[in-house]
Amino acid sequence: MVFVMLTLVFVVLRVMPGDPVSAMLGGHAPEKVIQQKKADLGLNKPIGMQYLDYMGKLAHLDLGESMIFKQKVSQPILEKLPATLELTFFGLLLSLGIGIPLGVFAARRRRSGRDYGARLYANVVYCIPVFWMGLLLQLVFGIFLGWFPIAGRTSPRVEVSAFSKTGFYIVDTLRIGNFAAFGDVMWHLVLPSVTLGIVLSGIFVRLTRANMLDVLKSDYILAARARGVPERRVVYNHGLRNALIPIVTMLGLQFALLLAGAILTESTFSWPGMGRLLLERIYLRDYPVIQGVIVVYTLFVSVISLVVDLLYAAIDPRVKY
Amino acid sequence: MVAARFSPAGWIAALFRWTSSARRKYGGEWWLMVAGVVVIAFILTMTVFPHLFTRFDPNDQNAGSQMTAPSSSHIMGTDNLSRDVWARIVYGAQTILGVAIAAALLSAIIGIPLGLLSGFAGGVFDRILSLIMDSVYSFPGLILAIAFAAMLGPGVINITLAVAVVYIPTYFRLVRGQTLSIKEEVYVEAARAIGARRGTILGRYIFPNVIATVVVVLSLNIADAIMTEAALSYIGLGLPAGIPDWGMDLSMGKKFLPSGIWWMITFPGLMIMLLALGFTMLGEGLAEILNPRLLEK
Amino acid sequence: MKRLFTLLLVLGLALSITSVWAQSTLVYGTTDKISDIDPANAYDFHTWEIFYNTMDGLVGYAPGGSALVPALATSWSANAASDQFTFKLRKGVKFSDGTPFDARVVKWTIDRNAAIEGDPSWLITDFVKSVEVVDPYTVKFILKNPVAFFPKLLANPPYYPLSPNTFPEGSKGVYVKDPSELKGGVLSGLGTYTMTSFKRDEEIVLDYNPNYWGKAPAYKKVIIRYFADATTMRLALEKGEVDLVYKSLNPSDINDLSKNSKLTVFKNQGPFIRYLAFETSESVFKDKKLRQAITSLLNRPEITQKVYLGQAIPLYSMVPNGMQYQKTTFKTAFGDGNVAKAETILKGLGYTKDKPFTFDLWYSPSHYGDTEANLAEVVKAQIEKTPLVKVTIKSAEWATYKQQWHDKQMAVFFLGWYPDYVDADNYTAAFAGTSGSIGNGIYFSNPDWDAMFTKEQTSTKETERKAVFEKVQDLWVDEVPTAPLFQGYLILVSKKSVTGVKIGPPMIFLYNQLKPVK
Repeated sequence: MVFVMLTLVFVVLRVMPGDPVSAMLGGHAPEKVIQQKKADLGLNKPIGMQYLDYMGKLAHLDLGESMIFKQKVSQPILEKLPATLELTFFGLLLSLGIGIPLGVFAARRRRSGRDYGARLYANVVYCIPVFWMGLLLQLVFGIFLGWFPIAGRTSPRVEVSAFSKTGFYIVDTLRIGNFAAFGDVMWHLVLPSVTLGIVLSGIFVRLTRANMLDVLKSDYILAARARGVPERRVVYNHGLRNALIPIVTMLGLQFALLLAGAILTESTFSWPGMGRLLLERIYLRDYPVIQGVIVVYTLFVSVISLVVDLLYAAIDPRVKY
Repeated sequence: MVAARFSPAGWIAALFRWTSSARRKYGGEWWLMVAGVVVIAFILTMTVFPHLFTRFDPNDQNAGSQMTAPSSSHIMGTDNLSRDVWARIVYGAQTILGVAIAAALLSAIIGIPLGLLSGFAGGVFDRILSLIMDSVYSFPGLILAIAFAAMLGPGVINITLAVAVVYIPTYFRLVRGQTLSIKEEVYVEAARAIGARRGTILGRYIFPNVIATVVVVLSLNIADAIMTEAALSYIGLGLPAGIPDWGMDLSMGKKFLPSGIWWMITFPGLMIMLLALGFTMLGEGLAEILNPRLLEK
Repeated sequence: MKRLFTLLLVLGLALSITSVWAQSTLVYGTTDKISDIDPANAYDFHTWEIFYNTMDGLVGYAPGGSALVPALATSWSANAASDQFTFKLRKGVKFSDGTPFDARVVKWTIDRNAAIEGDPSWLITDFVKSVEVVDPYTVKFILKNPVAFFPKLLANPPYYPLSPNTFPEGSKGVYVKDPSELKGGVLSGLGTYTMTSFKRDEEIVLDYNPNYWGKAPAYKKVIIRYFADATTMRLALEKGEVDLVYKSLNPSDINDLSKNSKLTVFKNQGPFIRYLAFETSESVFKDKKLRQAITSLLNRPEITQKVYLGQAIPLYSMVPNGMQYQKTTFKTAFGDGNVAKAETILKGLGYTKDKPFTFDLWYSPSHYGDTEANLAEVVKAQIEKTPLVKVTIKSAEWATYKQQWHDKQMAVFFLGWYPDYVDADNYTAAFAGTSGSIGNGIYFSNPDWDAMFTKEQTSTKETERKAVFEKVQDLWVDEVPTAPLFQGYLILVSKKSVTGVKIGPPMIFLYNQLKPVK
């Protein structure tokens, strides 16, 4: 998968008009300088050669160097990845926290008012553009009420360099016991992760509901009910536990959506993460960094689906690896 | 499902049969679908007869004064260039709806034949194509669309292409999967036994059976395409200025947010949501009625 | 959920209580970006501003003014021919890394920066032939040609002495990007502040440099926060999270902030201009009549009001307002929104309502801020006031945009200009001189004009230069290689408690001039 996506992106980038050299130098630069720079960056070689060079390096886990800035590709990625992970983690947590209970709630009585209500919520929320949700929250809670900050990871007065080590600000601030800074970091996480969480929760409502409906129809639920097990226990202990297996499996597929949502959330909340890095570097035509970001995204998706498979095996005793 | 020959009249008749019985059978879903159809119809009318909805030109920079809140003369207020926000929404519907429908159709036109062929032919061709499509499918579509949009540059046709690329695998996977299972059905075996040509089998027996699910997916797909188009416009990779576009108007309003100019972002976003919701509800309703298990898979 | 919320609320309160900040720290917000931490290659206002504050020149400008004052050189003199300059250096000065400052360091720096051949290296190599160490505290510059204003050049960062114990030796194309590439990993200098922390695009921390030769500043620590967008920056200022913001706020934000009684707005005409560039050699605008027609239709006050909400100044000459030799010939020749004039020209060329003149108008969506799309829309509407013209707006990202103007693919497009040096020459020859014109995609070339520019560049006589520039500006409205649109403001907004903002014509902003008041 990494291979396929990378090849695709590699070709797309090379076909794109404009290149790192023209992005970097003005039209002012003489032709000789332009050609020189292109040669320095290896852009004058045939695309096939460039591709083989790149793949060769990648095989040694070397993402190469930025063509615009003097930095290794891994540097900006390692700087920005924690921001994205923090955001997606809380976004996911929140969407599960809203989605699963609501899905169960809906499934308990199919075609009842609450079922239609929950499904309407799921559909409406799914159709809300992430960025619009973000802007509305900014408008209400950031501007009108002034409760939450609407951008960035920390307040300007918090000196990030004082605690930043891993790039995960939550971990970093707790590690050195700087609770004021920790509070500030959490404070900044609220609106972006709520945005992401709400928009994605619709999917989990749908997933949970569908799977719960399946499970609640099964024989052992009927048996449990027949035995007189309280309805609440039937639903949560017997039902939800079994429905969780397919939900976890589907979770892997939703990650692509989560990452896409994260890009838009980052751009709305000026969140210094991977999505913004990608957009910035696309404008600069910084090929190696764009490719590096794609590699990370694909790895991310692949790793998640692997984890999901393992998790699946752990939950479902019938599957053995 | 039966091996029906593909004829439009037969289809419409079938659709009618479904609808009348479905209304009785699936009360809620029926109304869900109707609500979707109403929203779509409303916005569709807007694209065809925009002048019936507003007396302002979307590019009229003297429609009112700069950034006035909604009032009786400008129901959704005016933007920073004194244009009427509602007029921009009415005329902007053409852009987003056109792009989304064209993109969804385009990806269906490419994805369906590829899926049919791949599922029918099998072998190395199928495996390679499946690998590519699966990779693209599991990758965040928006990122791919961003890459293509950046490559192609702004423009209506370019953005349509960028959005279309993302959804090709959706159709491919769906159709390929169905083709694989239908291929094994008795009536296909029978057709093969009486010496029907491969093209005939594909066109007469397999395609019509696949099409039902495609209709559902197409509707849901348009909803997704609407949001992808809006997202691309919002991050500035969509259309050049001069064409009214909801996503772009929304991003233009962003910088006036701290001044409390809420109407420039609220209404275009609301419309994007409504339109996407319309197609989702239609798709879901159809799905539940045509094949209740489709969405749960 | 509820409990989490309460927890957050408590934490937030705790934070606001603990964030009582020491008076001697200044938090500065900007949306600019820093380029290379090396005066040999950096060539942008913001990075130069960092150098003004962390390094020092042999000479400097009086804060807020344009008069030269002694800095690291206590005095200087020129020979009769004005092609040799001798500087007496200040004694006992040390870099922040402890390296003593002397004439050898000056020579080392100039040789290094010249050898690297970075973007601003022409500021050295076009003028300086060699540097001689006369004695440890005397240095002599030998020039290629007589240059009367040479000491002014020394106030620019490429001439600022660097510590050889921090910066690597100069070789072509090898320059420092991040402080981590420096020996010791920290930027050293002779300025008021030293850079103690660097996080690209996020935060830079400057601390008072105890080795600084001059007076200690009131703000001992300056934290520069990099904002991704103007909106966030504005809110941070309103909430008091930053003390001062400089470059660049949205026009709507400036208007709002001006009404805020807790803030002070420093506003000055900036050197930044915007104009329409025509491709004059091959495109449809090869015909100067068409360039005149389109220019007649422009309505500058409407642009500044609609697009910039009044936070820009209409411009009627390529030479900006407030600069020597300006003559606002576009006002007299075209005025604003002169539809009648445009129609006369267009009708003369045979265009009619049914057969209008059509062309593509290009803009780049993010390079000049997010108002560009609006600018294009407003200009399109102004041009289409006459039915004889039809405009299609097109846009391309900056990298593509540059490529396209280089390849003559855009007939008319929006550009902006920050001067390399503050002189009318840089606002005229750069667009209409043969070589400068190519660089901006205008491809205008006229031997008579080139002769005028050579005359103005070599002349030291004020009246002679004035005559040339006025003639150029008179001819500009006939040839119209470019059409001036407007000039920007320099705007700095700070809390009332921050005083001492001084930014003069050379656009040098020194943090050591700032003082907190209760």
